[in-house]
Amino acid sequence: MFQAASAKLAQTLLVLLFVSAASFAFLKLAPGDPVSIMLGSDYSKSSYDQLTHALGLDQPVVFQYGNWLADFVRGNWGTSYITSQDIFELAVLQALPVTLTLAALSLLIALVIGIPTGVLAALYRNSWADVLATTLAIGGNAFPSFYLGILLIWLFGVDLGWFPVLGFVAPWEDFWQGLWHLTLPAFTLGAWYIGLIARITRSSLLEVMGQPYILAAKARGEPAWRVVWVHGMRNVLMPLVTVIGLQLGGMLRGAVMTEVVFALPGLGMMVTTAVLNREYIVVQAGIMITGLLFVAVNLAVDQTYQFLDPRLRRR
Amino acid sequence: MTEALNVTALTRESQWRRRLLQPMLRQRSAMVGLAIIAIYIFAAVFAPWLATHDPTAQDLMASLQGPSAAHWLGTDSYGQDLYSRLLYGAQLALIIGFASVALGLAVGVAIGLAAGLMGGRTEWVLMRIVDGLLAFPELILAMAFMAVLGLGTENVVYALALSFVGPFARMTRGDVLQVKSQPYIEAARMMGVPTAAIIWRHVLPNVVSPILVQAGMRISIAILLESGLSFLGIGVVPPTPDWGLMIAEGRGFITMAPWISGVPGVALAILLVALNLLGDGLRDAFDPTTQKDA
Amino acid sequence: MHSAVALTPRVADIPAIQEPLLNVSDLSLRRGKAVVLDGVSLALRPGETLGLIGESGAGKSTLALALIGLLRAPEVQLDGSMRFRDTELTQLREADYRRLRGNKIGLIFQDATAALNPCFTVGAQIAEPLKRHLRLSRWARRERAAELMHSVGIPEPRMRLDAYPHELSGGMQQRVMIAVALACNPELLLADEPTSALDVTIQAQIMELILDRVRALNSSAIFVLHDLALGAQVCDRIAVMYAGQIVEEGPSEHVLAAPLHPYTQGLKSCVVELGSRRLVPIPGQIPPLNAMPGGCRFAPRCPKAKTICSEQRPQAETRDGRQVACWFID
Repeated sequence: MFQAASAKLAQTLLVLLFVSAASFAFLKLAPGDPVSIMLGSDYSKSSYDQLTHALGLDQPVVFQYGNWLADFVRGNWGTSYITSQDIFELAVLQALPVTLTLAALSLLIALVIGIPTGVLAALYRNSWADVLATTLAIGGNAFPSFYLGILLIWLFGVDLGWFPVLGFVAPWEDFWQGLWHLTLPAFTLGAWYIGLIARITRSSLLEVMGQPYILAAKARGEPAWRVVWVHGMRNVLMPLVTVIGLQLGGMLRGAVMTEVVFALPGLGMMVTTAVLNREYIVVQAGIMITGLLFVAVNLAVDQTYQFLDPRLRRR
Repeated sequence: MTEALNVTALTRESQWRRRLLQPMLRQRSAMVGLAIIAIYIFAAVFAPWLATHDPTAQDLMASLQGPSAAHWLGTDSYGQDLYSRLLYGAQLALIIGFASVALGLAVGVAIGLAAGLMGGRTEWVLMRIVDGLLAFPELILAMAFMAVLGLGTENVVYALALSFVGPFARMTRGDVLQVKSQPYIEAARMMGVPTAAIIWRHVLPNVVSPILVQAGMRISIAILLESGLSFLGIGVVPPTPDWGLMIAEGRGFITMAPWISGVPGVALAILLVALNLLGDGLRDAFDPTTQKDA
Repeated sequence: MHSAVALTPRVADIPAIQEPLLNVSDLSLRRGKAVVLDGVSLALRPGETLGLIGESGAGKSTLALALIGLLRAPEVQLDGSMRFRDTELTQLREADYRRLRGNKIGLIFQDATAALNPCFTVGAQIAEPLKRHLRLSRWARRERAAELMHSVGIPEPRMRLDAYPHELSGGMQQRVMIAVALACNPELLLADEPTSALDVTIQAQIMELILDRVRALNSSAIFVLHDLALGAQVCDRIAVMYAGQIVEEGPSEHVLAAPLHPYTQGLKSCVVELGSRRLVPIPGQIPPLNAMPGGCRFAPRCPKAKTICSEQRPQAETRDGRQVACWFID
């Protein structure tokens, strides 16, 4: 148990090191010389050397990386040239919560719609639910979220006027307003997940329902709903969590697009704006955070396995 | 000796045909996908003949027009003909999609083969680089590369290709390691067959079909990412006829002229659905353990 | 293996005249066009044990599943009658049937490893029928589950309550299955090849355990088995099934000692007896459901078959206290 956990921890630390090295490498690869950018158009050789030395850019790359990493860990991420805002504050305290809220809400919507659709599709094969699940799975997975967002804005925002079109209100400041503003974005992002979840639920449940332990549960006099939702679904959770974890990349992809379409000040918006403004340190902060997020979610999924499947637990 | 090797290569090819091609032909949805993709490829190849206008010719007098005899699918805010832009957009999307996947595949497979066959320190270093690439979502990776490389069509291809290197490299290495442990590789080695010949005759044919399946499924991601990047304004630059750019442009006119974003949006959605159908078909045909109704 | 353990039939203990607990008459089960069970009739008195013997595909397990109501319309079409005490099972509403399952009728599955849900503790699975049917409190369920585990010979039951199935051996898992099936003291226990998935060394133990519990609870039991000798050892009466029909039915020792139906005779000669060189397998196999012969279903494989056998179906006749369906009973 301890050995396995420490091996996992070592592996995670190694990946974190790669993430940081990749982010640092990105900064080094970025075009433009940071010193001349900071000095402006007119500067002397001595002031250039002075600043280079002050920034530690005359040291070997490995030392530069060490310094950078130390600064990063301390939350000393630098300041934006354009908004002169502290980047740690911008990225971690402002943008990250927006993206996380959006992602969580989308996932919730996708689960609430996707799981029952998948269950109905499995129980009543070739029924309308089955057709719906298949259509959602194929259509939702392929439909570009940015165009879906535009369509939803047009229909529900402009035409029907049910939801606000743009902007973000933090749900932790004004819960209902925040939820109201996030409904369309969350549906846009969630649409992609609904089909996926419905499809996995359907195929996993079909397989599980054919297992002898389901028949055994019926033979104990368990009512039909409990057989499906307790005995069956408990065994579907594992593949479901796997797929949700595996598709995090797709989720983040959709989140970037959705944030831009709905003008939500999240990580995707931050990185997009920074790329357009050529603000490489902000881009780098975005890369680093998504990398860390990726690692964290993978770790979480791994931990969930043991919780979901007793056979993987070590005693 | 050569005779014998040729025979095995032949049977492997016919096996490939039987295992992958024939089951796929039986799948109706995959065939529908293939038919739609064929239409897109036709439109892309013959765009210069099918187009009624220059895709980048602006005619401000004819801006924001709905579908008409002169402009079959209407015009955008610059008066550019949407039908012609749609055709050239298909060309661009398919070229970027295929090119980026092909490039990412070539680099990734090379890295994977090198890592899997050489082993040792080379493998460790290569796989750590791959781990670094895989630690990020594709879009973020592509955005970062775009930031470094700068905007433009070519750079989109490079950025996407780089973001695909990781998955292909990891997959190839895994397949190679698996094949390498097979007895017949050991036998060939003992008979003195040169390493290059072993790779070419025995390793590659065995890793090729899973990688092709993966490539097929990546193309739809590539096209989605490409149009996404362009939509964000960090991909292809205007006035290039690109669907992502067209959707971004039409976004501001959604109430007045919904067709501006609608034409490329629907075209993109249909192409992606078709690619996914084909990809699923390829996967099911390749992997018999995936349930048909999965 | 089986024969090493003395398992005495109990025909003598049973009062001669008693209302049957279960009375199946002329039961047919159709799945689409295939007739899986054809005119099955049997009766079981309280406390009696019956062995359903036959090759795989004879319809034994199907009959067990039909009895516990897990094979019903619309999935399959059932005709005829299954009376359990005063209840006509074929007409029973699903909600009422559910109250019988795991309560008055228990079922032991062949493969406990597959029949126990891997995601729930064995204690939870034993406690389920206690909650469902007996409405015991959480605390009482735990107590009773531990008692049940003790009664099926699981050592340290309190510690094992919170174990997951994969943490137990195959034999222990089958004991858990037995505890689940017996949790509510069922009047009828169905055991579908309860030992064939187990190691040979513990098969006899488990069989004896089931018999022991059945006797202790004074329940009736139907054992689905493919081994005629084992069936005769374990059960009071034997019903031999072939292709969805019961071909011979009667007291165990009579059937085993002097089988009347050619199929039973064939089954018996399949049994290897120490010191005997007779081992004559029955040629051929059970015909597929969509190609059943019109007359006697065993006719194509029967060494004694005449023209009439393939033309007309033999009706069950009473002979020496047993039922036999054959045109040529010698």
